Amino acid sequence: MYYISIKKEDWHRSLEKLLASHDIFVPVKDEYSIDYEHFNLNHADRIAYNTPKPASPLKNFFLPVRENVSSFNGKAGPRIIIGVPNCDVEGLGLLDEIYLDEDFTDPFYRERRRGTLIIASDCYSVNEHCHCTSYGVKPYATEKADIALLSEGDEIFLRVISERGRDFAGQLNGARPVEENGKMLFAEKRHADTEALLAGINENLPDYKTTGTLVLKAGKEIWKKYASRCVSCGACTTICPTCSCFLLIDRPDFEKVKQVDACQYPGFERVAGGEDALFTLPDRFRNRYLCKYVWRPQKFKSIACTGCGRCIEACIGKISKNELFMELI
Amino acid sequence: MAGQHNNIYKPLRATLEEVIEESPLIKTFVLIPDEEFIFKTGQFIELSVDGVGEAPFTPSSSPLVSDRLEVTVMKTGYVTGIMHELKPGAVMGVRGPYGRGYPVKEFQGKEVLILGGGCGLAPIRSLLFTLEHMKEDLEKVILCYGSKTPADCIYKPLFSRLNSIDKFEAYRIVDVTDDEWDGPVGVATKLLDSVKVNINNSVAVVCGPPIMMKFGTIRLLEMGYRDDQIYLSMEKNMSCGLGKCGHCMMGEFFVCKDGPVFTYNEIKHSPEIWK
Repeated sequence: MYYISIKKEDWHRSLEKLLASHDIFVPVKDEYSIDYEHFNLNHADRIAYNTPKPASPLKNFFLPVRENVSSFNGKAGPRIIIGVPNCDVEGLGLLDEIYLDEDFTDPFYRERRRGTLIIASDCYSVNEHCHCTSYGVKPYATEKADIALLSEGDEIFLRVISERGRDFAGQLNGARPVEENGKMLFAEKRHADTEALLAGINENLPDYKTTGTLVLKAGKEIWKKYASRCVSCGACTTICPTCSCFLLIDRPDFEKVKQVDACQYPGFERVAGGEDALFTLPDRFRNRYLCKYVWRPQKFKSIACTGCGRCIEACIGKISKNELFMELI
Repeated sequence: MAGQHNNIYKPLRATLEEVIEESPLIKTFVLIPDEEFIFKTGQFIELSVDGVGEAPFTPSSSPLVSDRLEVTVMKTGYVTGIMHELKPGAVMGVRGPYGRGYPVKEFQGKEVLILGGGCGLAPIRSLLFTLEHMKEDLEKVILCYGSKTPADCIYKPLFSRLNSIDKFEAYRIVDVTDDEWDGPVGVATKLLDSVKVNINNSVAVVCGPPIMMKFGTIRLLEMGYRDDQIYLSMEKNMSCGLGKCGHCMMGEFFVCKDGPVFTYNEIKHSPEIWK
């Protein structure tokens, strides 16, 4: 890893040039939220660098809500996604394990991954429900992304992580190496400040090593209590950077449509004979916790909850998984 | 993966050659795939009706045959209901084979006790073809099969054929008798009371409705089988078959990819395995 820097103006001009050959997405702030939009030089001042998570999880770029997977036509991209928080970057780990599994590689996912350069963004601040560090995820990327970005005044600093990131950085007009022996004191301070903020708002929150045991030990009553406010809308799974369950739907001429599905919806596990292991709402509600904190950690190397907190923000029943875990301690 | 080349979601086409009525609710579909279709016994396929839907089935034919495929289907839900209306000549879709089948190499030198119920005889028939092929390496094969009524028994000629094969024994029982039935009456596990088997040098295979799987396993454990000697063929809602869609998650396992055949030892800690 090493840093380069570029004047913000030059950075945006470089992106403008790249638009000829790339789709470029940046996090844009409006009066309600921050979310990804196509890069537009005229609105460069609205780009929200180094703020916590955009509304949409990164998975949306790789796993569309609905897509026809009948015929595969090769390449996807190239595109550049800028401003990805590390909670989302880390979420890619689990998606990669599932969709790039060498026994059955999903070609649609694989080509989107290959065709996408990921420029992460170090978080300088936190949202109310951010808790990445509680689960061992840093608020800045040092792997899985190609580059990480820090915006300081008129200057953009890029932490080059991958080979592909190095190639990209080499093409930027006006970029220059940062000579501080590879040590970026201001970046380290930024990291420490954000980590301190996170530690402050998440004091006593159980870590990812503890959550699984807590879920397994929890009695029926707590699931009933929290599920009483759940309406099975699936917002938590839709917004989650690692939830990726789907349904294959048949269309004429043996076409298959792959559509986002979720264990929170009634009938998710129902079989033809009518048996349904997740028939009751508390069972479905609990299933998500078992999946994220017990089963996926047993099965996969990558983390299944990166502490982004979006599920808490998205819940119309105001269910907070962090409150639930605090109650389980 | 036959036919799927570079797209894991794409089915291979197969023409329906014959439909065999096995029982009032069960039919066997004889399919001729467009390409050679190779599978291991106990692996499953996703069989689709064009534009309607697909469902997982373990082929009931011999894995030694790769140019035709037999799938035995019980009319249970929406897709299987429409399958039962299909006539020879219809084109169906086949994805797979998926999952981990029976580890038949581990059965070598052993007695194989098979407990089956209802349509669970379908995967077992495929296994029996395989075991017949390797019978020189086996001590004994015992099939205990239960059906609801005598009429609900599938592959009726199979039993006399098995009993004529050296080292093979096959027994039937029914839950509800009729005028012509003169065999034993009761649940399938009852047949286990009278089998002669050297448990220490044996494996047990169970395939059938969940309730039979549960009580069959309990009975086998009572008989002295160890957890790792009992092979269960698990059933879940398997949508993709690829270990991705999440529908068949049972504890940390994707039944479609890590199973559908598990030893009881592997899954006994999973919650609600009999659901």
